[in-house]
Amino acid sequence: MIPTLATSEEDSAADRILLEKLADWSERYTPLVTLDPANGLILDITGATHLFGGEEALLVDLGARLDDQGFLPRAAIADTPGAACAAARFGAASVVPVGGSARMLEPLPLAALRLDQETVSALDRVGLKRIGQIVGAPRAPLAARFGSTLIRRLDQALGQEEEAITPRRPAPPLIAERRFAEPIVREEDIAATLTSLAATLGSSLEARGLGARALELALFRVDGFVARTTVGTSRPIRAAGLILDLFREKFAGLGESFDAGFGFDTIRLAVHATAPSDAAQIDLTGEAVAEADLDQLVDRIGARIGVNRIGRIVRRASHIPERAETFVAPDDEGLVKKNGALPSTDPSEAIDRPLRLLARPEPVEAIAEVPDGPPVHFRWRRALYRIVRAEGPERIASEWWRDDELSRDYFRVEDASGHRFWLFREGLYERETATPRWYLHGVFA
Amino acid sequence: MTAFAELSVTSNFSFLRGGSHPEELVRQAAELGLSGIAITDRNTLAGVVRGHVMAREIGFAYAIGCRLVFRDGTPDILAWPRDRASYGRLCRLLTLGNRRAEKGQCHLDLGDLLDWGAGMMLAIVPGIGLDECLNNTIARLKDMFADNLRLTIARPYGARDHRRMAQLARTAGHFGVPLLATNDVLYHAPERRPLQDVLTCIREKKILVSAGHLLQANAERHLKNPADIARLFRDFPEAIVESRALLERLTFSLDEIRYQYPNEPTGDAASPQEALEKFTEAGAAERYPDGVPAKVRKSLRHELKLIGECAYAPYFLTVHDIIRFARSKEILCQGRGSAANSAVCFCLGITEVDPELSDLLFERFVSLERNEPPDIDVDFEHERREEVMQYIYEKYGRHRTGLAATVITYRSRSALREVGKVFGLSEDTLGALSGTVWGWSSGKVPDHEISRIGLDPSEATIRQVLDLSAEIAGFPRHLSQHVGGFVVTHDRLDEIVPVANAAMEDRTIVEWDKDDLNALRILKVDVLALGMLSCIRRAFAFMEAHYDHRPTIAKICSKEDHAVYAMLQRADSLGTFQVESRAQMSMLPRLKPKKFYDLVIEVAIVRPGPIQGGMVHPYLRRRQGLEDVVYPSPSPLHGHPDELRDVLGKTLGVPLFQEQAMRIAIVAAGFTPGEADQLRRAMATFRRVGTIGTFRAKMIDGMAARGYQGDFAERCFSQIEGFGDYGFPESHAASFAILVYVSAWLKCHYPDVFCAALLNAQPMGFYAPAQIVRDTRDHGVVVRPVDINASNWDCTLEEDGDDNAARLHPRHATMKDDIRSNHAVRLGLRQIKGFSERDAETLVDIRGKGYDSVRDLWLRSSLSRAVIERLADADAFRSIGLDRRDALWAVRGLGGDKTRLPLFDVAALADIRREPDFELPPMPIGEHVVNDYRYLSLSLKAHPVSFLRQRLAARGIVPNETLDGTSSGRRVLVAGLVLVRQRPGTASGVVFMTIEDETGIANAVVWPKVFERFRPVILGARLVAITGRLQSESGVIHVIANRLEDLTPMLVSLCEESGDLEALAHADEVRRPLVDMREKIGPASRLVRLAREEPGIIKDLVEIATKAGKVMPKGRNFH
Repeated sequence: MIPTLATSEEDSAADRILLEKLADWSERYTPLVTLDPANGLILDITGATHLFGGEEALLVDLGARLDDQGFLPRAAIADTPGAACAAARFGAASVVPVGGSARMLEPLPLAALRLDQETVSALDRVGLKRIGQIVGAPRAPLAARFGSTLIRRLDQALGQEEEAITPRRPAPPLIAERRFAEPIVREEDIAATLTSLAATLGSSLEARGLGARALELALFRVDGFVARTTVGTSRPIRAAGLILDLFREKFAGLGESFDAGFGFDTIRLAVHATAPSDAAQIDLTGEAVAEADLDQLVDRIGARIGVNRIGRIVRRASHIPERAETFVAPDDEGLVKKNGALPSTDPSEAIDRPLRLLARPEPVEAIAEVPDGPPVHFRWRRALYRIVRAEGPERIASEWWRDDELSRDYFRVEDASGHRFWLFREGLYERETATPRWYLHGVFA
Repeated sequence: MTAFAELSVTSNFSFLRGGSHPEELVRQAAELGLSGIAITDRNTLAGVVRGHVMAREIGFAYAIGCRLVFRDGTPDILAWPRDRASYGRLCRLLTLGNRRAEKGQCHLDLGDLLDWGAGMMLAIVPGIGLDECLNNTIARLKDMFADNLRLTIARPYGARDHRRMAQLARTAGHFGVPLLATNDVLYHAPERRPLQDVLTCIREKKILVSAGHLLQANAERHLKNPADIARLFRDFPEAIVESRALLERLTFSLDEIRYQYPNEPTGDAASPQEALEKFTEAGAAERYPDGVPAKVRKSLRHELKLIGECAYAPYFLTVHDIIRFARSKEILCQGRGSAANSAVCFCLGITEVDPELSDLLFERFVSLERNEPPDIDVDFEHERREEVMQYIYEKYGRHRTGLAATVITYRSRSALREVGKVFGLSEDTLGALSGTVWGWSSGKVPDHEISRIGLDPSEATIRQVLDLSAEIAGFPRHLSQHVGGFVVTHDRLDEIVPVANAAMEDRTIVEWDKDDLNALRILKVDVLALGMLSCIRRAFAFMEAHYDHRPTIAKICSKEDHAVYAMLQRADSLGTFQVESRAQMSMLPRLKPKKFYDLVIEVAIVRPGPIQGGMVHPYLRRRQGLEDVVYPSPSPLHGHPDELRDVLGKTLGVPLFQEQAMRIAIVAAGFTPGEADQLRRAMATFRRVGTIGTFRAKMIDGMAARGYQGDFAERCFSQIEGFGDYGFPESHAASFAILVYVSAWLKCHYPDVFCAALLNAQPMGFYAPAQIVRDTRDHGVVVRPVDINASNWDCTLEEDGDDNAARLHPRHATMKDDIRSNHAVRLGLRQIKGFSERDAETLVDIRGKGYDSVRDLWLRSSLSRAVIERLADADAFRSIGLDRRDALWAVRGLGGDKTRLPLFDVAALADIRREPDFELPPMPIGEHVVNDYRYLSLSLKAHPVSFLRQRLAARGIVPNETLDGTSSGRRVLVAGLVLVRQRPGTASGVVFMTIEDETGIANAVVWPKVFERFRPVILGARLVAITGRLQSESGVIHVIANRLEDLTPMLVSLCEESGDLEALAHADEVRRPLVDMREKIGPASRLVRLAREEPGIIKDLVEIATKAGKVMPKGRNFH
């Protein structure tokens, strides 16, 4: 309709991630944060406002910070989660005075009560559009027609029914914490504390036959900043030494940016995810260990340079030889499929491709029969090769939707001394070019 | 040079596999100097006729075959029939595979081929693996087919071509099977590789970048010339020689299909011809009780002689039999098309066009020279056509009866969509792109349209998408069933053509479409459905029930009624057949029809042929006496100056009908009748391959050589081109004109009957029920609302004390004495959206003396609460004193559980009585109207625009009805709901809009320049204001738009209490499409600032606008 309007597709998964991040961030105000999808957060700030200089000040602070981040926040504070949501989404008041919810709600549309679309439109059809229209009305007929949710939502908003919010971060299954009377600063002290916390957790885990898959270390600085560090493991672990190693790599990766400031007064180690792990039994060949070693190596390198920088090479479905492979995460099968990679190799195809593919085809001078005969001689890196056997051409045309390159005629050739090469002629004689050029693209064993 | 024939060719009738049309392949093969070609599609013969016709045309060796693809792991096998018998078996084999599979699939096993393969030549196409399976297949087939078996070798330029060929040669040698060289062709020329890749992706539902090895590695699967083939297969010259040798053994031609029409017993007559003559004689006596006129008698004699010579009598008898069946069941039917040129058809009751009154050209219908079967199309009431079809299946048996196929092809829009998807474009982009294509046009999308939607037309991907989708347009996508073309045969149908399952249960289709059938001279009967016939039958039933009047089509047409023509001259034609469209309506006052033949012209003139030929205005000017009637003449050296007078006499010297254009080609350009007919068919069928140029030169040069003006010749040719798309012969127009007249007669004298019948026959025609009802009320008929106690499923007529004529709208005042109706129309339950006929029947069946409450209805009927709620939404409880809201309130209070015992009901009742009163706010009338539109798509209470009148007046907008009294050239400002947007392909980008307010309709013309500026408004607005200049010509009034404004947000106010309107005042700043605001809002948008200040507005606007905007009709788009 409006050609100049910039549009982009909705990416609800990304929106969700963003909202989660915001929720993380907003834990600075209170640990009791819950999501109000698709674009809201509910914070229970009971007893937390004094830290920020009162409700108004908290709201201003929050608004300003979000604004700085490029958001357009709409926030409100009210007696109940329901009223606050309504005020934020439909109202104008930013801080609803205590006891003022009812007045604030009355002119708002019924949708402000967090009702489903069907109920709202059913109410609309009988002429009930504003919250004020049902506040004082008899409840029974409404409940009979539009369900008890309507009444519950109304009561919740008005504070006539308790509504507890469920914090989004469930309590970690296992947690170990140590507080210090005197803040600690030195890394050795932190490490020592960590080791002892890990040992505590380790024995709890062992008792349950579990191992940790994700751990979070929270360092609470005296000035209120919380340094959270999370590590994931590729297989369940519980040895204190391993846990310490992982965090060490992590800190080493962080380098100088690790700032103890005035020191930490609380250190908390929490296990966020677990997986069953039986007491390790090493078999006689030691293979299990080797595999475990690889995983640990990946974990350790990953913890230092980032897991996304570790990968392996797999085959990819493309006729163009240099595009026939791709780099995927070590354990990501899903990614393998998405990139069009082929999970396995057809062994019969192996003979068609050289063992070693040059990073970039190298130009050679060759003499060959037109239009598509094999080369007779070719010169590569100043040495001349006489070809005694050749097979081909295998014709591979360019991926026309991507670029407009010339077709290639590949030949597998063998020279007098038994060396085998993979050469191609670039450009179909007369059809694409008058003077095709030759390249060497690989060598067979 | 080595002779080579390509015998393994996949055309685009192997859907989404082949990259070229069969015609292209055949032509290319001839141009490359091949010895011959065979089309071998995958398990189908759908494309063979097209190749055959092309080969016949250019005289090229052609064989047909099929690539059999098995489900049991057998490698593909090419099968070519050698004679008629093995061809029949191939058809049987494919039919077997088709019938046991779902539509579009064919399941075959090697065993089937062994059963049916006798007499065929076979070649095995080895798959990737050269393994045991291949050897076993060879061994099994060799046993049975001995020296009729081949093994194909190909050079696809893979890595292992040579090794493979050597291996195959060994295998072939081992079994003693000759090798056959082929290139296993997928497209005619290497340039088609991208297109073939795209097809592969569409088929595999992949995008290009990840399709990988599903695509071919190179562009080598094209037709190659003998020299290339000789080089590629230089080690196997015998395999090349074999191609030629094999082709010579494939002597079967499709022309050998000796099609026989079913010869049903003809009573006591000695032969079908005799029986036909008898029926014709009897029919003539009935048609002309006062004796058959000499002219007709002569035609009959001539026609019967021709029919006898062509042995078509059984065909006529079949159609006659079908018609007789329909008549016996009181199903209205009428022949159309060229059959209306036949006096025999008239006497048999197949058509209604009286040969005495018109000049018929029987040769247009049946001719010896044309060598093409006659085609009788019969329209039946659309609701009862199924009965006729079942009769045909029953009478002739399923083994002899099948429906013709329709080849569904890619159109611009579908092509853009699918190609775009293959390139990985997002849904939004796809939607925007395909939105640039109007309707079903197959033209290319111009660059500026692409920039308009925010894409760069020169960007590589967009360019490729556009180019490839243009190329893919016209490609067959799948076979579907023809709307009603029956092929009936004397012997087994499945030995003539493979038969497949249709999408509809119990339907079978043949693999050829009507052009294919025509080309092979296979007769078919078109059993078509026509909504207007249903409408007329319903109207006749009302007439009989309420007016004790038993009209028939023939009786109504028997005399010319001045009142009917007077009405049509005023363009008061809404709802009538054919002449109700916008274009027709603007033609009526200019053409001023006075007699039946004028209607024939009216129907034919607003068509691509006359419009493209520039014949419309000359004709109108001559009719209005503004221009002399002259006949173009040749130079005196070349012929009689009046040679065209005979051809063009009836149309004032201007060619309007297809026949006339053909006659001009013959008389003025010196075509033989055969050539003229080739020209006609070339237009219709050969546009794909472009042989038009030669005809064009021949016609224009021919006329110029005989001294005609070049300009006239050009226009005649353009007109023929126009006919190519929608050939519109005079006889066809005459058949339609009959229905125009009958429907206009009903509308003129019995608007109540016409309205009820029309509503009950919906959907059909150009207008929505809202306009039909409105027009009916303007004609003085009372229309009553849907009500639980009064409505049936269908609309009905009710006694109405008053005289309809007294309530006539002033603009129809002249009809005062013509209107004979005196009933009111009661809207039926069918008018309620989403209400089912079954529920309606239940409601009516147990209604008894009526329902006295919502609860009563609920208790007595077994209708669910949701259904009753729908009735409340439709405001159908007024007869018991409940308006929409009260009724909804009551319905929602019924309780959800349907398990009711009498005892509990009483308890529940008591409960309800105890329920405290609840005061519901009354629904504003505006909101009622909006809800009427939402649930009934019309409102009897008021027109939505009437509530906005004051605000519109404040903007200087005048009611539509005032346009009548405004002088031409004045600047006017009108507004209304958008009813119709139309951009005819023939009008060079002009858009016609029809808008409606509470006083009437206004028509606007939007020139392309203005359209470009206001595109979003024109395409998106439900309520629009148009500023422009008034143009009035012969009573046809148009507003030539130069400014349009979207007023849709105003509609929002209708469903809100008035106090809230002001809250939306900001919406004016935002002004544009509310729905679009649901998109992400870019940071730079003004909307953001607005939202910052007045945050509630976004949600409010979006919600309310979707609410009010959605229910208002979007307007219909016509192409």
